[in-house]
Amino acid sequence: MNVAWALLWKDLATEWRSRDRIVAMTVFSFLIIVVFQFAWPNMEPEQIAQLAPGILWVTYVFAAVIGLGRTFSTELENDAMTALALAPGNRGWIFLGKATATWVLITAVQAMAGLVFALFFRVDLTIGLSGTATIVALANVAICSVGTLLSAMSVRSRFREVLLPVLLIPTLIPVLAAAVTGTTATVAGEALALTTLQPLIVIGGIYFILCFLLFDFVLDE
Amino acid sequence: MTNSSSSASPTPATSSSPSGSDRLGLTLKLLGWAILGLLPLYAWTVSTAPIDSVQGMMQKILYVHPPLAYGAYLGFVATAIAGGLFLWQGREVHDQLAIAGAEVGTLFCTLMLITGPIWARGAWGPGNWWVWDARLTLTLLLWFVYLAYMLLRSFTEGDERAARFSSIYGILGVVLIPLNYWIIDLVGGAMHPDNLEFEEESSSLGVGMGLPFFVGNLTLFFVFIYLLVLRWRVGMLRTEAERAEFDSRRI
Amino acid sequence: MGPVRLRGTSIEKRYGRVAALRGIDFEIAPGEAVALLGANGAGKSSLLKILAGLSKPSHGQFGAFVDGGTPPLDRSSLRAAVGYVGHATLLYGELSARENLDFAARLYGQRANQERIDQVLEDFALANVADRRADTFSRGMAQRLAIARAVIHRPGLLLLDEPFTGLDELSAERLSEQLGRLRSEERDAEANGGTPSLVVVTHDPRRATELADRAILLHHGIIRATPSKQHAEEFTADALRSMLGEFAREASHAA
Repeated sequence: MNVAWALLWKDLATEWRSRDRIVAMTVFSFLIIVVFQFAWPNMEPEQIAQLAPGILWVTYVFAAVIGLGRTFSTELENDAMTALALAPGNRGWIFLGKATATWVLITAVQAMAGLVFALFFRVDLTIGLSGTATIVALANVAICSVGTLLSAMSVRSRFREVLLPVLLIPTLIPVLAAAVTGTTATVAGEALALTTLQPLIVIGGIYFILCFLLFDFVLDE
Repeated sequence: MTNSSSSASPTPATSSSPSGSDRLGLTLKLLGWAILGLLPLYAWTVSTAPIDSVQGMMQKILYVHPPLAYGAYLGFVATAIAGGLFLWQGREVHDQLAIAGAEVGTLFCTLMLITGPIWARGAWGPGNWWVWDARLTLTLLLWFVYLAYMLLRSFTEGDERAARFSSIYGILGVVLIPLNYWIIDLVGGAMHPDNLEFEEESSSLGVGMGLPFFVGNLTLFFVFIYLLVLRWRVGMLRTEAERAEFDSRRI
Repeated sequence: MGPVRLRGTSIEKRYGRVAALRGIDFEIAPGEAVALLGANGAGKSSLLKILAGLSKPSHGQFGAFVDGGTPPLDRSSLRAAVGYVGHATLLYGELSARENLDFAARLYGQRANQERIDQVLEDFALANVADRRADTFSRGMAQRLAIARAVIHRPGLLLLDEPFTGLDELSAERLSEQLGRLRSEERDAEANGGTPSLVVVTHDPRRATELADRAILLHHGIIRATPSKQHAEEFTADALRSMLGEFAREASHAA
C-alpha cells in the first residue's frame, strides 16, 4: 500500500514539473472539440443536445488514450521500469499507484475539456453536473485500470503508438456505451438512476480487480 | 517459487510433447472420420430442408451462420483458459493452445462476419449489407479483440514475453465478451430500437428446419475442435523441430 | 539483510527454439564476488534475471538463502535483498537526488528514513547537490546516484548488469573504484551483517578481474570455465580474454 502512495506521489510530482502529459492531453482534447465543430458547422440547438454526450465521450476517450500512451514513458527513460520490476511485494500496488495518478490527470483534463466543450457548443453542462461528474469519475476507473495494464505492455512492444489504441479501445466499448447513455440522461436533466451507474460500477470493479492481479505478470521477465 | 521451478514436472515440456502430440494425432483421426461422416448428412439435410416462404434460399445461410458462433466464442475461451494456465505454469504447450484457439477462432469469427451480411441483405433487402443487430455487433466487437490479440502477439519482442502479454490480453478479452453482451442488452434498446432483435434465430425455425440446423451445429462444432487440435499439434511439432535444429547448430 | 548465498542446479532457460541457458550448476557463497563473462548471447543476462528474482528457470533448481537459512527466499524476498546497478541509471530526471533515493527506499517498503538517505548521499559525495534535479547531473554524478539508489535498502546481493556500457575509459575507471569501495566499507558491513555478495555481468575481462574474486565463463548457455583468484595465472585479464577468444573460434569452426 505504501508503494502505491509512493508511486502516486512520484507520478504527480514528475508530471507537475514537466507537465508533458497534461499539456498534450489538454491540447489534443481541445483540438478534437474544434474538429467536431467543423464537422457539423450549422447545427441546431436540438441536434447539439442530441449529439453532445457522444462528442464529449469521444473526446474524453481519445484524450485518455493519448495520456495513457505516456504513462510508462517516464519509466522507460532511464529504465526505471527495471527498478519497479525489482521492487519486492505485490506488484498490484505499483499498478494501483500508477492507475490512480493517471486517474487524477485524466479527470483534470476532462474537467477542462468539458468547460471548453460547453463554451464552444453552447451546451449547458451545469444541468445535472453532479450526475455527469459521477459518471465521468466511475468511467475513468475502468479506463485507467485497463489503460494502465495495457500501456505497461504496449510500451515495451514495437509500434507502441498504434498498438495501445488497438488494444485499449475494444475493451472500452462497454464503458463508452454505458457512459454515453448515462450522460445523455443527466444532461437532459434527468436524475441519476442506479441503473445507469450499475454497469459502470460493475465494469470498473471487474476491470480494476482483474488488472490489479494481472499486472504482476507484466513486469516479469 | 524461487526453488523447484519444475520439481512438479521433471520432464521438460519438449520431451513430454512427442507422446502428447501422438495422442493429439489420434484425436485428430477420430474427429476427421466423424466429420467425414457428418458432412454428407449435413449437405443432404440442408438441401432437402423446406425453402423459407419469406426469405427464400437466403434463409439457408442460417444453417451455417449461427453454428459458426461456437467456434468464434469457444476459440476465445480456449485462448483465455490456455493463457491462464500459461501464466500459472509457464509451459509452452499452453501457449501453443492459446495460439490455436485465437487463430481458429478468428477464422470462425471472420466467416460469421461474412455470412451475416449476406443473410442480412437477403432478409432485409438490397442496401442492407450491414445492420447493427445484437449478434452481428457482438461478433464484430469480438473480431476486434481477436485482431488486437494477434497484433499484440506479433508486435511483442521475445517469445516468452509475447506469450505472457497475449495470455493477459486473452483473459481480459474473455471477460469483455459477457460485458459487451450485457451492455448491448442494457443500452441497445435506446440506441437502435428498430434493428435490435434478441430472439434466437433457431426459435423462429419452421417445420423441417430443426434437423439440418442441429446437424450443422454438430458438424461445425467438430470442425472447430478438429482445426483447433490440428493447429495445436502443428505448433508443437514446429517448436520441436526448430528446437532440434537450434541445438544441433549451436553446441 | 545479510549476504545472500546463491545455488543453481542444472538450470535451463529456454523458450521457443532459443535456449538461453542449457543446464548450468553454480554456487555463490555469501559475500563472494563473481563475474559473469561471455560474448553477446552467451546467457549472461538470462542468468542475471533469474538471480534477481525476475525470471524463473524453465527447469532445474535455483535457490537463494540468507543467514544460512534452509528455506530458500521466495521471489519477492529475493528481490528485496537485491541491489541492482545497470547501464541505465534507473533514475527519474524530474526528481531531485534526495527524492529519487526516498522513492527507491519506499519501493522497498521502508518509510522515508532521512538518516539513511543523508548517510548515503554523504558516502557518494552527493550531499551538496541533494536537492538538485537528477537530469541536471553530469554522467559521473548520475552514476554515483544510481549506485546510491541501489544500496539504499542495504542489499545482501549486488547485481551489476554491464555497468560500464557506454562509459568512456576514465568514467569506467572511476565507476570501478566506487563499486570496489562499496564492498570494503566496514561500517556498512557491520550494519548489514556482512559484506554483500556481488555478481557483475560484463564482457570486459579487465573489469571482471578488478571487481571479482572469480569468474564464470558462459558460452552458448553453458559454463565453460570458472577461473578464480586462487589460481592467479588464469585470473588475469589476458588469460580470460584468450579463453573467450578460444570459445568464439570453436563456435565459428562448428558453424
